[in-house]
Amino acid sequence: MDYKYIEQLIERYFTCETTQQEEQILRSFFSQGDVPSNLSEYADLFRYESSESDVHLGDDFDAKMMELVERKSGMKNNVVSIRGKFTPLFKAAAIVAMVLTIGNAAEQSIGTRPCEDNSDITAINPYIKNENISAAIKVKDNVQQAEIKPAVTSDSLLIEKND
Amino acid sequence: MDFKRDILPLKDIIFRTALRITMNREESEDIVQDILLKLWQQRDELETVSNLEAFALTSARNLAIDRISKHEQKNISLVEETHDREDVWQMSAHDCMERDERQSNIASAIATLPEKQRTVLQLRDIEGKAYKEIAEIIGITESDVKVNLFRARGFLKEKLNFLKRDK
Repeated sequence: MDYKYIEQLIERYFTCETTQQEEQILRSFFSQGDVPSNLSEYADLFRYESSESDVHLGDDFDAKMMELVERKSGMKNNVVSIRGKFTPLFKAAAIVAMVLTIGNAAEQSIGTRPCEDNSDITAINPYIKNENISAAIKVKDNVQQAEIKPAVTSDSLLIEKND
Repeated sequence: MDFKRDILPLKDIIFRTALRITMNREESEDIVQDILLKLWQQRDELETVSNLEAFALTSARNLAIDRISKHEQKNISLVEETHDREDVWQMSAHDCMERDERQSNIASAIATLPEKQRTVLQLRDIEGKAYKEIAEIIGITESDVKVNLFRARGFLKEKLNFLKRDK
């Protein structure tokens, strides 16, 4: 077998003129069993280069590394994730609070009259002793009419006076 | 960026590169941990990095050189340190893979090279990297990569010829 090509490649390898592919050819060539005696001196170098690319960390490294990453960045991540997780909750709480506030305010402004009516009923409570609500309202209407009547009377009096 | 998918697969090339510089497995494993953790913590800024592996290897090399110089500062004799490192290298080489004596001789010869030549040789002949990428990792020009590689290979050739005569 002609090893001229390999010899040429070796020569160019030592003058740094080989390509990555040609260097790979050399490593592959010397990794196989049969190497001519005149090239055997180079076999050790190229075999060493091939075997060194297989050097790797122990099998337990990944587990150790993952634990370290989780421990070191875990705290940082937790802070972010807690904030991240609770942000929508805070937003929801804020919205609920706003709705309740607006609701309360609306209820108070709308509900003023019925509240006063009730107080009126309460105010005329002495009249509704042992009687029903409708009777009480009748009494209340009478009271209101009685309040309006003198007012109208006084206005008309004023007008009459001006006339 | 996902740690298992994007960062963890860089572990072995970082390990081999650091091992070539420190010649100490334990120290190199420590460097891998530091670099991977640093990459993970800086993941947001690294989204724009085009070659994450090159970036990781540059960081690993700098860290390894830093560790070596710290060890050297503690030692009185640098010669002694070199011998110590060679011993460690030979031991770790044996621990890590079953190599015959002749391959150990190659390992020892590489161990005596200056760091830059050693790293260039590692990245080119063991990792199969292009000159351009090696230049990027080390931060030198492509022609400087070639000069360093030429010297490293030349030294090994001499060593091989010497070993042949010795047989």
